[in-house]
Amino acid sequence: MCFGPFPLHQTMASRKESAASGSSPLETPVKQIQIDGLVVLKIIKHYQEEGQGSEVVQGVLLGLVVEDSLEITNCFPFPQHTEDDVDFDEVQYQMEMMRSLRHVNIDHLHVGWYQSTHYGSFVSRALLDSQFSYQHAIEESVVLIYDPIKTAQGSLCLKAYRLTPKLMEICKEKDFSPEGLKKACIGFEIMFEEVPIVIKNSHLINVLLLDLQEKSTVADKHELLNLSSSNHLEKSLQLLMDRVDDMNQDIGKYNTYCRNLSKQQQQKQQYLQRRQQENTQRQSRGEPPLPEEDISKMFKPPQAPPRMDTLLIAGQVNNYCQNIKEFTSQNLGKLFMAEALQGHSS
Amino acid sequence: MSRFFATGSDSESEESSSADEITPKATGTTFNKPTSGLRNKEAFTPNLILCCPLRFRFEELTNIIKTIRNAMKIRDMSKCLEEFEQLYRAFLKSKTIVDKEGVPQFYIRLLADLEDYLNQLWEDKEGKKKMNKNNAKALSTLRQKIRKYNKDFETEIASYKEVLNSSTNVISLCRCQDEESESDDDEDSEDWGSDSVDSGGESEDNEGAAASLAVVFLKKYKDGRRKRHKKIEQVEEEVDEDGEAEEGGWEKVKGGVPLVKEKPKMFAKGTEINSAVVIKKLTEILQARGKKGTDRAAQIELLHALSGISNENNLGQGILVKIKFNIIASLYDYNTNLAAFMKPEMWKKCLECIDELLDILFENNNIFIGENIAEDSENLAISDQPFRVRGCILTLVERMDEEFTKIMQNTDPHSQEYVDNLKDEGRVCGIIDRLLQYLESKGSTEEVCRIYLRRIMHTYYKFDYKAHRRSLGLQGETKSEQDQEESEGEDSAIIMDRLCKFIYAKDRTDRIRTCAILCHIYHHALHSRWYQARDLMLMSHLQDNIQHADPPVQILYNRTMVQLGICAFRQGMIKDAHNALLDIQSSGRAKELLGQGLLMRNMQERNAEQEKIEKRRQVPFHMHINLELLECVYLVSAMLLEIPYMAAHEFDARRRMISKQFHHQLRVGERQPLLGPPESMREHVVAASKAMKMGDWRTCHSFIINEKMNSKVWDLFPETQCVREMLVRKIQEESLRTYLFTYSSVYDSISMETLSEMFELELPTVHSIISKMIINEELMASLDQPTQTVVMHRTEPTSLQNMALQLAEKLGGLVENNERVFDLKQGVYGGYFNRGQYLAKIQLFEYLESEGAKKSQY
Repeated sequence: MCFGPFPLHQTMASRKESAASGSSPLETPVKQIQIDGLVVLKIIKHYQEEGQGSEVVQGVLLGLVVEDSLEITNCFPFPQHTEDDVDFDEVQYQMEMMRSLRHVNIDHLHVGWYQSTHYGSFVSRALLDSQFSYQHAIEESVVLIYDPIKTAQGSLCLKAYRLTPKLMEICKEKDFSPEGLKKACIGFEIMFEEVPIVIKNSHLINVLLLDLQEKSTVADKHELLNLSSSNHLEKSLQLLMDRVDDMNQDIGKYNTYCRNLSKQQQQKQQYLQRRQQENTQRQSRGEPPLPEEDISKMFKPPQAPPRMDTLLIAGQVNNYCQNIKEFTSQNLGKLFMAEALQGHSS
Repeated sequence: MSRFFATGSDSESEESSSADEITPKATGTTFNKPTSGLRNKEAFTPNLILCCPLRFRFEELTNIIKTIRNAMKIRDMSKCLEEFEQLYRAFLKSKTIVDKEGVPQFYIRLLADLEDYLNQLWEDKEGKKKMNKNNAKALSTLRQKIRKYNKDFETEIASYKEVLNSSTNVISLCRCQDEESESDDDEDSEDWGSDSVDSGGESEDNEGAAASLAVVFLKKYKDGRRKRHKKIEQVEEEVDEDGEAEEGGWEKVKGGVPLVKEKPKMFAKGTEINSAVVIKKLTEILQARGKKGTDRAAQIELLHALSGISNENNLGQGILVKIKFNIIASLYDYNTNLAAFMKPEMWKKCLECIDELLDILFENNNIFIGENIAEDSENLAISDQPFRVRGCILTLVERMDEEFTKIMQNTDPHSQEYVDNLKDEGRVCGIIDRLLQYLESKGSTEEVCRIYLRRIMHTYYKFDYKAHRRSLGLQGETKSEQDQEESEGEDSAIIMDRLCKFIYAKDRTDRIRTCAILCHIYHHALHSRWYQARDLMLMSHLQDNIQHADPPVQILYNRTMVQLGICAFRQGMIKDAHNALLDIQSSGRAKELLGQGLLMRNMQERNAEQEKIEKRRQVPFHMHINLELLECVYLVSAMLLEIPYMAAHEFDARRRMISKQFHHQLRVGERQPLLGPPESMREHVVAASKAMKMGDWRTCHSFIINEKMNSKVWDLFPETQCVREMLVRKIQEESLRTYLFTYSSVYDSISMETLSEMFELELPTVHSIISKMIINEELMASLDQPTQTVVMHRTEPTSLQNMALQLAEKLGGLVENNERVFDLKQGVYGGYFNRGQYLAKIQLFEYLESEGAKKSQY
């Protein structure tokens, strides 16, 4: 997965001026996100046209911060680029785009980015790093995750995430050792916070939608009632299993580390004891005690495995589980309904 | 030489040691006899060889002296010094002899001359200045040395100088030429004589040292001369006699050079050729054997000539046998390098010789040969008693067989030459057969075992077409008479049985028995006697301890296993075939393991020496097992086993591979970006496997059995048709099983009739296969007898359920791992990490429950 669009400092500066009247920057700056229908449609269209299968599409969100809510009024896609065109300048591209949009009087302030997902797998190192750099530069930035598969099943799935302040701190310090994470008291469940989304359309569009709703037939909504589940579940399970395998490996690594560490501790203890005994003996004989050596040099602590990946995997597993749970509960409901219908008709 | 004997067959060491032994034995006897100064004719003739050590030592000395003189001539002082030191050492070595014989004259002479010469050089200041530094240094050292050394021989040198001084001539010139001057001095004056006395003394020793028989024989007629040597003082009288012996003298001088030039004069004219003379001559020739500078080709020719002579003069078979033995041995000796193989003409000669030898042995029952007959108890000449000849025909024949193998190894197998060489196999077999007959009547059990093994080694790998035809009952009217005659011989199976059983019963060395068993198994397997072969293999317990055997036996073992596997395949025992071939094929080094070639990639791992050894182990091309056939058999059996297994365990997380190699081939096939029609054998098998996976037996069949595969593989079997029929049937059966495994979940019930139509199998067969699957709990179904259908129980988990189970298993592992971390920390370190795990776990169990609940809804 490639990094998201690069946050631009220039836009940050301009944002600061506009958002200066807003809430204080110390509290959670964004309580709510208001998305234009246009943005949603553009994101969906982007995936439909360019994303296939597990491929991920990304883009830049534009908008404004108004008090404690973030208004996303426009977006533009980020081109899929392969390894071949090395000379593609991402920053240049973003600047160009925003400048052009500004010329046609569109909000040109950078407020975050969006990304599509495949069966809810988005919690990754790349996303973390990317979102960190965004939030580091532009405090209010969010990442919109669009799940095309769920959307295809009948319910639009668009979620906005932000890194929690705690995670931001850790990322800032770049301390991913077990101790560091322990001190920060961070678990996978408080890594990301979801921000509620409101989709806002102009009145005219609302009218149009109501009009369309009346015209549309029942058949258009049938996909919502689709009873088949095994395909989706199988895929999710497969992904979940892969993650569990990864997790298992990580735990194994951590386990060996712990064992090595404790073994070394023991050795260190033994060494110190011996040294102490010797010293007392020497003292009784009236000899000068042995000089203290640098023990940390003799016993180099083993390299601790970074725990951030494990954390992310756990987060991802959590995500999958949530997805599966949601899916199955929905399906169960549908099944009950179908059973009732069958009993009624027969 | 010694290396050769250490590694080569012991037959050779016997031969050679018989020659080598002479030396030490001789030393023992020489000095028991009062030979010192008074060797007369009688003492001389029979004990000729006994003078050997003396001669040898003196020859060494004279050689060195010669070099010193040469160096003196060219004023090469450093060379002189070097040689002098050598001379000194050599002289010390021959101390014992010198003690007995007195200091040899020529030695004293050299010392005296050298000293004079050095002194002269020393005085010559001009010359010394011209010398280079090395030489000058050597000169002073040498001068000092010789001065010191000569003190030991003061008296001798003094007496020598006295003799010298008595003549007024300048002798330095003569001295330089004394080797030549000796014979042409009859018209010379006395002073020449004095020189010739010395040289005579020298030449006497010379002649002893020379291996020249001619010289020796000639000597006999020069009694007078000999006496003269004994009495050195009677100088003048001898001069005339010397003239008499002029011709002989001429010859004698050349003693040091190889014998070739004397070839036409084996015996001097008029000699009465009797066995004693010939034996003596033979021994003389053999003396030269193994020595440096001996012309081996000439030696062989000499021996041939000798055999001719002995034949002409009817000296009796004993001698002839002895000579033949030695000819063959010299033929083997011809190549000192172990890796080199015999030249064709040598080989032909060798075969002829052995044939002749066998002829003689068969014709004459009264010849005893054996390696244990001592040299002195040999009886070669006296025809009243049985002849006793030292030598072992068996070892010679074994060596011949090895030479044959070597020739075959070194011939390009794709050339006409190879075919020509292979034609000799008949002769080799013939010789072995004849020797076998001979030894059966005369040899010890051990010898019989050895020759039996040779016979077996030439039989086991050959397919007996006659017996095969006969067993098919085809030989009747269509065959010509010649064919019938041919087919009247014993079946190779019977021969093998007889020979092997004898070895099993009588052999005491493990190796021969092991080889015999392996060959026996191989032969059984080759002729499709699977049960005999298998039982023999199991009974012999070779599989347990073959790793202790030497590499050639291991190669034989590998060959046997492979043959066994192929045999099992022909018989339709797919599983057995697979198991037998697994070890060889899975290593990917089948070629190397079967001794059919070296792998390139191992080149770095071994050095030249190892490579040579490995090359020597290679099996000749005509005995090779077709590797493609081998691989094909293996892959097809793997396919027949693996594909149904894969279908049965599609969702099993812990499914194991039956054959790694087969999977490798499948993966290679999958990786192909563009899948064309199969070309190679492997591609065919892979394509067939894919078809079989779908239960499509017809496609599978067409991939396995078609023109290409027939020509590549199947036609190589003797019973092609049977094998193909067996294969088709196996494919049908296994495809049926695969089909049922793969698609049983789709069916509620299947009619067996439909199945039998689909797979073109008879109803009972289908019935039995399905029953077997049901019994083995591979297929969850029951048979409905009246309607002849299989009713599926549908109790196999769906793929989703399978996955859930797998996931549950994995989570179990995860939890276990987590506990372990916990144990280590003992609750001290309970942070974010464990909580997360448990939450994830709880959620998963929730999910699994809901999944279960959902299932119950159906």
